[in-house]
Amino acid sequence: MCLKECYIALGGDYDDVISRLRTEKLVQKFVLKFLNDPSYDNLCKALDEENYEEAFRASHTIKGVCQNLSFTKLYHSSHALTEALRSGWTPEAAQILPQVKADYQQTADAIHALQETIG
Amino acid sequence: MSKKQEYKQTILIADDSEMNRAILTDMLEDEYIILEAVDGLEAVSILQKHENEISAVLLDIVMPNMDGFGVLKIMNQQRWIEDIPVIMISSESGATQIERAYALGIADFINRPFNMAIVHRRLVNTMVLYAKQKKLAALVAEQVYENEKQSAMMIDILSHIVEFRNGESALHVVHVHTLTELMLSHLIQLTDRYSLTQADISMISRASALHDIGKISIPSEILNKPGKLTFEEFATMKTHTTIGAEMLEELTAYQNEPLVKTAHDICRWHHERFDGHGYPDGLKGDEIPISAQIVALADVYDALTSERVYKKAYSHEVAVHMILNGECGTFNPLLMQCLKAIADVIEEEFKNKTSTSNAQPQIKRTDDAVLGDYELPASGNTLQLMEHERMKYAFFSSRSNAVHFEYTFSPSMLMLRDWLDERSDLPEIILNPLEDEALLSILGKEALTGLADALKATTPEQPLAEYDCMAHLKGKTLHIQFICQTTWSSEETPQCTGALGKAMPYR
Repeated sequence: MCLKECYIALGGDYDDVISRLRTEKLVQKFVLKFLNDPSYDNLCKALDEENYEEAFRASHTIKGVCQNLSFTKLYHSSHALTEALRSGWTPEAAQILPQVKADYQQTADAIHALQETIG
Repeated sequence: MSKKQEYKQTILIADDSEMNRAILTDMLEDEYIILEAVDGLEAVSILQKHENEISAVLLDIVMPNMDGFGVLKIMNQQRWIEDIPVIMISSESGATQIERAYALGIADFINRPFNMAIVHRRLVNTMVLYAKQKKLAALVAEQVYENEKQSAMMIDILSHIVEFRNGESALHVVHVHTLTELMLSHLIQLTDRYSLTQADISMISRASALHDIGKISIPSEILNKPGKLTFEEFATMKTHTTIGAEMLEELTAYQNEPLVKTAHDICRWHHERFDGHGYPDGLKGDEIPISAQIVALADVYDALTSERVYKKAYSHEVAVHMILNGECGTFNPLLMQCLKAIADVIEEEFKNKTSTSNAQPQIKRTDDAVLGDYELPASGNTLQLMEHERMKYAFFSSRSNAVHFEYTFSPSMLMLRDWLDERSDLPEIILNPLEDEALLSILGKEALTGLADALKATTPEQPLAEYDCMAHLKGKTLHIQFICQTTWSSEETPQCTGALGKAMPYR
């Protein structure tokens, strides 16, 4: 799987990210780094502990990173979650959460596949 | 090696996401030195340490511990925002958030997702703009200084011509100027009766140089006559006051200039006396403008202490004694009080003025050489002075056995300066110090509250507070003493903005 195929698999916008961040090499470097970003774990942990302020920040960070990397699909769901958590817990957050989890999984799977190809 | 590599500007990136910082760092690290902060608190701490090195800040809004707005608030309080441009980068797109950020002084706002080339371009533009602004400010300051110097020089030349013809020492004008300035500066500490500003003081002192310009029209036989003047000759001599005033009145184009008005008053009335026995108008008390009253006294003092064709010079002590004794006419009692209070200062000042008088032209030339050098404009000097003060402060505090701190009420934040590492593990910045566990474990709740109460008891008039208590540091118990001064806003009803202080072992 190449970088472009990875973007298709995770529902991202390859052309957009290349136009903004310039080189494929740089984009690939940051895409691979995405797996090490602690924000998703922080989000899950904060929600478990019902610390919604922290959950808001983690979700906000995921959204920002997805924006930077043009991970369009995960951006949309994490954006919705961020807004749902902005003033604490809301029923909407509960509705959106499964979508965020699914999108994150899809993104992580695609990046893992890319990682295997590169070796 | 290119010039860029020799000198790199420093940029602070504050963002809680490592990935976001990495993307920006990756783009900028070739050209700039990058400092990274993981939250607002660290950003403030880095700014505090590297205030003079940082050329720009890239700031995120949503961060733990302290968000971007908190950082901006502190940058405003510390006035860092005036010199360090902040570019906010955020995915917050609400107009109110962006407006709030602009209101807090940011230079630019960039939305995520950003285009690298555009971030780069905007960063460069912003820094160039700030650098240009600083250069312009320096240039204007220098021009103003240059102008001031030119006009001061013209007045000096003019009054020197007058003195030259009068056969008086060229130092007379300098002495009168100095004495006028010293007296006025002390007078405003005694009374606010004359509502004089610092600008008024320097203007009156400058105008004082013109007090005898009327003498230019007095025949030199009278002016330089060694013996006593006849009644008629003295009558002619007295006209130098009105003639000087008339000369200035004829400058129709400058009638509204404060300098000309003041010089006019001084010329006409510097021989008036407080009891009404002076000339030309016989004005009494405060009918005589304070400028003329002071120049009159300065003129008499310098006449006494200088050698003239008809007399020897009196010593400083004798001259002051003669004036205070009323032997040279009556003066305003307030001015007598001034003269008494600053007699020693005057003596000291004039010793220096006389002894350096020969070297003065040389010093002036050196001054010109330094000031004319564009590498070091006047404001560059100021910067150097500030840097010097900073170094001095750092030196003395590193050698004193004290911990210095600064506290701001809003946000409630304690900044520790020069805390020696071996003494405690406290961070440099503590939010909500009254509830901070590390601080509570050292001082205890009671002492911390006691200190806060001591600060609350201060007023703008009595801002000092002292407090002593026991502190527990690394298993040891110490008796320590706090000396603090609260800081107040300059509003009509001053608000307490925070406090400065130091803590040291109790003596």
